[in-house]
Amino acid sequence: MPVFVEDPAHFSKSRLKSDLIAHNVALPPSKSKKEAYVELHMKHVDQKHAADFSSDEEDQVQEVAEEEEDPDDTEMPDPSGLTDDDLRAALLVHGVKAGPIVASTRALYEQKLRKLLQSDGHDKMNGTEKAVLYSDSEEEEENGEEDDEESGSEGAKQETVEQSGQTQKESRQVELLFQKGGYVYPQCFLPSSRLRARASRHREPSTKWNSGNVLKSSEQGRSRCSQIPAGISRASSVDQRSGLGSGVPSASQSVMCNDSFPSRKFSITEMVEEGSLTCFLMESQTSLSPNVDTEREFNGSNVQEHWSRSNRLDMPAVDKKNHSVYYTPEASTYERKTKLPPEPVKDIYKDLIPDTKTTPTGIHATRRRPIKGAAGRPIQYAYPDTPASPTTLERREVERRLVPIHIQILVFFIVASLLYFIYACIEDNSFNPFVALLDILSQESDIKEGLLLQAETQDRPALFGQE
Amino acid sequence: MSTTSQKHRDFVGEPMGDKSVTALSGIGEILGKKLEQQGFDKAFVVLGQFLLLRKDSDMFIEWLKDASGANSRQAGSCAQCLKEWCDAFL
Repeated sequence: MPVFVEDPAHFSKSRLKSDLIAHNVALPPSKSKKEAYVELHMKHVDQKHAADFSSDEEDQVQEVAEEEEDPDDTEMPDPSGLTDDDLRAALLVHGVKAGPIVASTRALYEQKLRKLLQSDGHDKMNGTEKAVLYSDSEEEEENGEEDDEESGSEGAKQETVEQSGQTQKESRQVELLFQKGGYVYPQCFLPSSRLRARASRHREPSTKWNSGNVLKSSEQGRSRCSQIPAGISRASSVDQRSGLGSGVPSASQSVMCNDSFPSRKFSITEMVEEGSLTCFLMESQTSLSPNVDTEREFNGSNVQEHWSRSNRLDMPAVDKKNHSVYYTPEASTYERKTKLPPEPVKDIYKDLIPDTKTTPTGIHATRRRPIKGAAGRPIQYAYPDTPASPTTLERREVERRLVPIHIQILVFFIVASLLYFIYACIEDNSFNPFVALLDILSQESDIKEGLLLQAETQDRPALFGQE
Repeated sequence: MSTTSQKHRDFVGEPMGDKSVTALSGIGEILGKKLEQQGFDKAFVVLGQFLLLRKDSDMFIEWLKDASGANSRQAGSCAQCLKEWCDAFL
């Protein structure tokens, strides 16, 4: 038995009204109940368009007649009564790949399905059968379920009403999220380590982020040390870079770093270089990632010894200045640790920082080069070659293909001497193949002149003869 | 559409960020107000709807007409600018 989902009884009042108006039926008084509308609808509209709006009379006879009339209108579901999945499936049947059916899109998809059904119906009408757009439902559905059905058929409208509310809510949420993440929003393409660094910076100065050693060493008013974000102390190059900006303002402390070699001054940039340098050394020696743990392993227990010693020695020596006039911030624990390993780290090494460093995030970042002589620091080392600009590269490319300059000069002299040789030969009559050539040419011209003269002399006697 | 408006170019030229819904090409003050009343106060919310419709311009145009009362030209302009934005930035 075919399932007729839709019948006039399921229509909303307003729809019934509009249908009636469309068919020029006088409307019942405005207070009248829905049943009145339905009745009118059945009486007028359905009779006129028996095919389109089949009656929902309860008598079985009519029902059977309807069935016989339209045996194939089983798949005429009311879009608004479908579940999301059914709706999607129904759309798929019609060759429409529906997106997510949510509150804000459902109405659209329902509309689309309705349209598709309608067009299908029209096709059928053109064909052999009359399609029924709105078929009536079965009796049992009809009985006592009117309200439910009505609300079901009005679902679309309700949803459109709800839609605004829901979408508003959604957008609020979105906005809220957006505002929450507003600070980090422009950074969202940066590695998370940077974000972490920022966060940790905000949490300064009593960051527990680093281990207790850091806290220990960062006592005695050196809490600024922890301002140097975790990025630096973690020695991934990206972090160092990001931490550079924040660390610089605190560059007003000096520190003595005690080790086997003399005390050294630090600036943030040097620290950064140091960190990446150690990375570089690590890479070159063991081709490891700049991981703290691996470095720790690499440096071995020796480091721990140095470390603790330096910590101990550091405390009294905090305010002591080294021979440099310039105040520089102290290194964080990690920096000291990485510096301490026995490799005598010279300044020149700092220039050997590799261009690319592997980072935990897999993102390569280049470090900003410290400004030459910044903060009055003497320039102690030369900078590596700056990468050539495209034009210079091009020029070099061209130059490579050119003939070397000494060969050019050689060729020039050869040509010049050759020209001089020819000149000398012409000047000197004793031996001159060129003069002979010129003679031949001049002889030829002489002959021509002679012929012309002859012609003239031949003409002249004639003229004289006439006179 | 043969030519694009300045508004369209402005919108497609850069990430939409926090732009208001009226920054969308084809959405003026009146339509913008109507959309805002329905919660579509930012361009990205409209983009969300556009994406929910699987970047289907036709569906989006239909929706926009429904939601804001835009005419076909306005809705088409908006859909095109969102589509191009998606092509550029998604």
